[in-house]
Amino acid sequence: MIELENIRKSYGSGENRSQALRGVSCEICGGEFTVVLGASGSGKSTLLNIASGLERPDSGCVRYDGLDIACLSDTDMTAFRRKNVGFVFQQYYLLPNMTVDRNVRMGAELAGKSDYRLIIDAVGLGGKLNKYPGQLSGGEQQRVSIARALAKMPSVLFLDEPTGALDEETGRQVLDYVSGIQREWKFTMVMVTHNVNIAEMADTIVLMNSGEIIERRKNERRKSAFEIGW
Amino acid sequence: MKDAARLVGITIISFCAVFVCGLFTNYYMDISGIEAVLLPGKVAAFYNAQVSTAKVVCLVSGGCLLVTAVIMLAFYIRSYIETHKRELGVLKALGYSNMGIAGRFWIFGTSVFIGTGAGLAAAFILMPEFYSIQNSDGILPEIAIGFHPSILILFVIVPTAVFAAMAVICAFLRLKRPVMSLLRGSDRYVVKKGRGIEAVDTPFIRQLGRDTLRGRKSLVFFVAFAAFSFSSTTQMSTSMNELSSPMMGAMILLIGVTLACTALYIAVWTAIDGSKRTIAVMWAMGYSRREWGRGILGGYRPVAYIGFVLGTIYQYGLLRTMVDIVFRDVEGIPAYNFDMQALVVSLVCFAAVYEIFIYLCSRRIIGDPLREIMGE
Ligand SMILES: Nc1ncnc2c1ncn2[C@@H]1O[C@H](COP(=O)(O)OP(=O)(O)O)[C@@H](O)[C@H]1O
Ligand SMILES: [Mg+2]
Repeated sequence: MIELENIRKSYGSGENRSQALRGVSCEICGGEFTVVLGASGSGKSTLLNIASGLERPDSGCVRYDGLDIACLSDTDMTAFRRKNVGFVFQQYYLLPNMTVDRNVRMGAELAGKSDYRLIIDAVGLGGKLNKYPGQLSGGEQQRVSIARALAKMPSVLFLDEPTGALDEETGRQVLDYVSGIQREWKFTMVMVTHNVNIAEMADTIVLMNSGEIIERRKNERRKSAFEIGW
Repeated sequence: MKDAARLVGITIISFCAVFVCGLFTNYYMDISGIEAVLLPGKVAAFYNAQVSTAKVVCLVSGGCLLVTAVIMLAFYIRSYIETHKRELGVLKALGYSNMGIAGRFWIFGTSVFIGTGAGLAAAFILMPEFYSIQNSDGILPEIAIGFHPSILILFVIVPTAVFAAMAVICAFLRLKRPVMSLLRGSDRYVVKKGRGIEAVDTPFIRQLGRDTLRGRKSLVFFVAFAAFSFSSTTQMSTSMNELSSPMMGAMILLIGVTLACTALYIAVWTAIDGSKRTIAVMWAMGYSRREWGRGILGGYRPVAYIGFVLGTIYQYGLLRTMVDIVFRDVEGIPAYNFDMQALVVSLVCFAAVYEIFIYLCSRRIIGDPLREIMGE
């Protein structure tokens, strides 16, 4: 379980100072799929970066099963991410000069895993091991990036608008893969989106507005990517 | 064009080149004036040796530095165009001609102007000292310092013009491609056909090192050059202390180390700057600084040591030639032997400088990886 307690974060200084998070507290339950929903600029990415240990809050605690990571040193923070956190970015950020196999291996080596090919199969790219990212469609690239994040066997997977750069159909396919894998493997998953429909796929929805959480509710039943029909 | 600030590398190199060449050429021109005077045999031999030294030093250092500066300029322009692809693409899309855009690149020539101008000035400031040392034994008649306008033209104005022209031509050649290929993102990929299936079991970090090395061949040159100039000049300077004067030794040492650091800095900067995104992603995934450092820069280490070996061989060859051929007729030149001690000291220093330098640079250059991922 991840507990966020009274997180504050602002950027800039003086006149340009803006508060991205104004005292956010929230719990993310282990093994669940949580969606953080909110308009652009509401502080979702900031919250995700702080929860995943990419960034430090100005004040407040981020506890993973009781361990506060906000006060770890940079080196310990890196080690923590290495062990626990997987990250998927909107822009994929695959290494363009390496094949699908290599890109996923980049994650797998962090966990010392050698059976990472299973994960490539799980995202449906078993036949494209030796392709380069430039030869794949956007949706396929995002699936590679998901495989890369999963290959290190993180206890929590964070996704920041993973379908933001994809068209509807492809986006749905990607979500279907990742949601299915999460259900099967039961890791904790936190996804940021501004798409209301996507939220219906989650176990828990956290609603954000201008740096604050305004609502947190549970879905009775997770819908599949094809039921939500956006 | 604030990026022009990055051209300090070229400025430094042209400074060194003109400093050394200016000093020796001026000296050469001034002593040429006394040729008419009848010289007794021994003095004539000394005189000839001085003339040959001036020629050799000018040719060797000037030539090496010139080549370096040219390569560096081409390299800068290429990387400038790569990083500013979008802006340039927009200009082209708006209807600016290739020549219209390339024409602005003449400004790269100013770096050469500043370097060469300052180099010549420094040469003139140090000249009285240099003259008195060169003739400390009083073998030759007193030499007056003359100012030769041809030196100003040859070493400052011509290089500036040539480099400015080269910058424009270089830019023009690089811009000659479709607008879309400029506008499109930098995620170009190369499908390596014909190389067959790569050895499957290369660990990721090592693979990354190889890819970086392969993808940035020009950096291989810079790293090797840095090591080369470090090794050759540090060792040469110790020998020079004995063969010539401590001042010569110090001068060579200073120039060599400056060059080495400049070249190394450029190489490390470019390698890291070009891989910022990869580094940022590795950082987010939890790779430690040491690991990504090894991945991006590790491939260059062997190159550095090869450069070092070449530098050692080069300086030995050069000194051997000087002593055996140029100074053959001059008495009082000590025998020259390979200096093992200097090699060891130089190697240890190099290893230390290389590692520390890379460590410090990579720290400074990487900046904020999160920003890199979030795209501002
Ligand atoms: N690195 C940054 N520097 C300055 N301001 C930032 C930075 N990151 C985010 N912000 C500001 O913080 C607010 C929240 O941003 P963000 O968390 O990215 O929102 P979201 O992901 O919901 O669109 C925005 O107003 C944004 O301008
Ligand atoms: Mg965002």
